[in-house]
Amino acid sequence: VSGSPATSPADTATGIGRRRKVAARVRLDFWFDLVLLLGFTLAYSFGFTGIAIHEWLGLGLGVAFLLHLTLHWDWVIRTTKNLFRPRAHDKLIYAVNLALLLAMTFCIASGILISRVALPYLGIYPLGGAFWTRLHILTAEVTLGLVPVHVALRWRWIVQVARRLLGWRPARRRG
Amino acid sequence: MRFLRHLAAAALVVAAVVLLGLAWAHFGASTLVSGVGHQVQQELAAGGTHGPGIYGFGHAELGLGSMLDPANLPVLRHTVVIEIAVIAGVVILDVMRLWARRADRRDWLAQSQYRSEDDADE
Repeated sequence: VSGSPATSPADTATGIGRRRKVAARVRLDFWFDLVLLLGFTLAYSFGFTGIAIHEWLGLGLGVAFLLHLTLHWDWVIRTTKNLFRPRAHDKLIYAVNLALLLAMTFCIASGILISRVALPYLGIYPLGGAFWTRLHILTAEVTLGLVPVHVALRWRWIVQVARRLLGWRPARRRG
Repeated sequence: MRFLRHLAAAALVVAAVVLLGLAWAHFGASTLVSGVGHQVQQELAAGGTHGPGIYGFGHAELGLGSMLDPANLPVLRHTVVIEIAVIAGVVILDVMRLWARRADRRDWLAQSQYRSEDDADE
């Protein structure tokens, strides 16, 4: 629990108290993941953003992706250790995340290798080539399929945190 | 310190995957680009109807105004629709799985209660 635990009734009434009760780390995860999702959506829409924004956004996503992996490293270690237990949870999530790690890393790395705006702007001229171009397109499509699955597999956490952060209240039955 | 340790570990994993990709490009590039490479390059160079120009393909249009052009909006809409459809599909499947599990649990509880009542009667 972050922030001051004491909240006034007025705060609670306005939803501020509810927001304060959400741990700082949970808040960071929620908003950072939301920005990652929006960033990926924009970066994938190459025809919408244009090449320059696509490439700079892609480089930014690469850094953000590494940070996302770092923030969830504890989960990676814990789940990897428990993976081969007979009643292990999160096996499907682990498989999806592993596939996403491969697809996204290949996508960003190949994107860097075929960069025609961002890297030349920095004075680096990557060689590119048909293999990396093909890999970039293929892994971008795979990533587009996996990112929403990755998000949706945590929908209960997302709803729970969004409800607390945004002050949504579940409809209660009267009677 | 702990964060830096995790960052180093994550960077190592990413580097290993990149090395895997480099090895693939070196030893098995033909598994991915046999005959399609030229076509892909041409598609990228053309950039589609509203697509931007690309460095090294003749003109230096960066497409910075692409996002302001309403004609390009369907591209973003297409991505959003795919994401929403996949999310909705997975959520529906998960909700159905939860309902099925709850129903199984209800049946199991009802049966065990029925059995205990039978045992009490005997």
